[in-house]
Amino acid sequence: MEHREILRVGRVRKAFGGISAVDDCSLSVSPQSVTGLIGPNGAGKSTLFNLVAGLYQPDEGEIWFNETRIDGRPPFEIVHLGLTKTWQIPHELRNMTVLENLVLAAKHNAGEHLLNLFVRPGQVRRDEKMWRARAREILKLTQLDALANEHAKGLSGGQKKLLELARALMTDPTLVLLDEPVAGVNPTLAANLMDLIEKLRQGGRTFFLIEHDMNVVMNRCDRVIVMHQGRTIADGTPASVKANPLVIDSYLGG
Amino acid sequence: MKTRAEAERLAIDTGILVNLGFYVSISIIFAILALGFNLQWGYTGLFNAGIAGFFLIGAYTAAIAITPPTPPSTGYPGHLGGFQLPLAVGALLAMAMSGLAAALVALPTVRLRADYLAIATLAFAEVVRTVALNLEPVTAGTIGIVGIPHILTFSGPDAAFLNAATDVGVGAAILAGLFLGLHFILESPWGRVLRAVREDEEATMAVGKNTFRYKLQVFAIGGALMGLAGWLFALTLLYIEPSGSFAPAITFSVWVMVIVGGAGNLRGAIAGAFVIYGLEWLSVQLKDVAPDFLKDSIPYIRLMIVGALLIILIIYRPQGILREKKRVLR
Repeated sequence: MEHREILRVGRVRKAFGGISAVDDCSLSVSPQSVTGLIGPNGAGKSTLFNLVAGLYQPDEGEIWFNETRIDGRPPFEIVHLGLTKTWQIPHELRNMTVLENLVLAAKHNAGEHLLNLFVRPGQVRRDEKMWRARAREILKLTQLDALANEHAKGLSGGQKKLLELARALMTDPTLVLLDEPVAGVNPTLAANLMDLIEKLRQGGRTFFLIEHDMNVVMNRCDRVIVMHQGRTIADGTPASVKANPLVIDSYLGG
Repeated sequence: MKTRAEAERLAIDTGILVNLGFYVSISIIFAILALGFNLQWGYTGLFNAGIAGFFLIGAYTAAIAITPPTPPSTGYPGHLGGFQLPLAVGALLAMAMSGLAAALVALPTVRLRADYLAIATLAFAEVVRTVALNLEPVTAGTIGIVGIPHILTFSGPDAAFLNAATDVGVGAAILAGLFLGLHFILESPWGRVLRAVREDEEATMAVGKNTFRYKLQVFAIGGALMGLAGWLFALTLLYIEPSGSFAPAITFSVWVMVIVGGAGNLRGAIAGAFVIYGLEWLSVQLKDVAPDFLKDSIPYIRLMIVGALLIILIIYRPQGILREKKRVLR
């Protein structure tokens, strides 16, 4: 494995009961890339994302983010290192407004510490003001600004996908794991979303995304990794993966 | 000089006031319990089924701390205490003990899923009550702790009225203070994290929050509030015993108060306490005036009314009487 990769997963295994969801899986993601992760349902893609984000603990193996070993660390620490994930099924905070969903995700907000409310009220006010302004910028970027003060539960499926991305961006991540970012999103919005991801990549961020939309995978990703039965079976440019007989057999179909 | 009739009328008037004062005092105590539970469940989604246990710890801690030494008497086993500490110290100790107990209970259990947390806390409260029933040297067992002083000592014919007025005044001041304090911490970025935990803990973790720390804090603060309610309860009733006042039914009442009043907002919890305890208080009052054939069934009619109210509310207004407001940020 090349040392300069932003994410390195080494021989990771995770079993639920008797079923190995991720089995001896190794892969890596290059910085400032848009890397796709594809594979049939049940291949272990979402489980792998949960392992990387710290929501599950691997049974075996190592996960490195830049120079830091992150397996076994709690999710909030991993976010603070600059790695965030979104969900396939949006996990919007339903009874909170879109703006609240975003401001919550700010990395360092003095007012989130109980004691600071009493001993550093000025800092609490300044931080909150700054993060609200930043949240409004991101809402503009993701075209959600008109919905800022709506409850998140009122959003459409596609808007919730945008909210997921917007909220992830609030944590100022260097690596974002996107679980099916355009599933259920109309084609125009999906194209906009992928344009935005491309723009953010050029700004220095890295995206690692699970997607079943082959248009997105083939046209938008620099590199594609294929998982099958818990392990990687192919890794390369979209064209090379598309031509790989193993991939055709297990996923793309003849 | 007052005529005898006038004096009698006055006594009846103050009697009604004392009675009303008792209603308000107990409602305030329930309101404080409801605020504690609302913080844990209404804001953070932690379903505490051991409210009565934290309430008990506060009441007994306070009673042991502030009660003067019991004069030896036949039949009374005595209890730990005789410290005669100032009332405010008693309040702080009650809050500290209940808060600490809540934190200790939370450490292993707060990671559990909601239903398991409920089972664990319910069991905790019953353990606490069984200890209070059986640890005679400390709690005087089933007899309970007697001789708890009034907040202020009055004498003369108006003493009952003045005591009731003091209880109401002190209770109202505490409730107002808690309302303002809780509003300040809950409508802050800190409170926003709590609501996020309630909505979706996993998502809250995934945006970088140490949700365990918040849950622990909330459990401890809520427990401390329940301890404070216990202190006020001891000072209002002047006598505490483990079987009735700290039974699981107290916990269930507080749930009903928060559900009926409206979770996730402070006014709802307070309103729920006054309404639901009001029904209980009214049923006791009605006992004196109701026709004979109804008298014995009044407590059951009350339970039916509470049950019906709960069902109607859950169907037609699940947010409760006062609903949680949307927070519009500028």
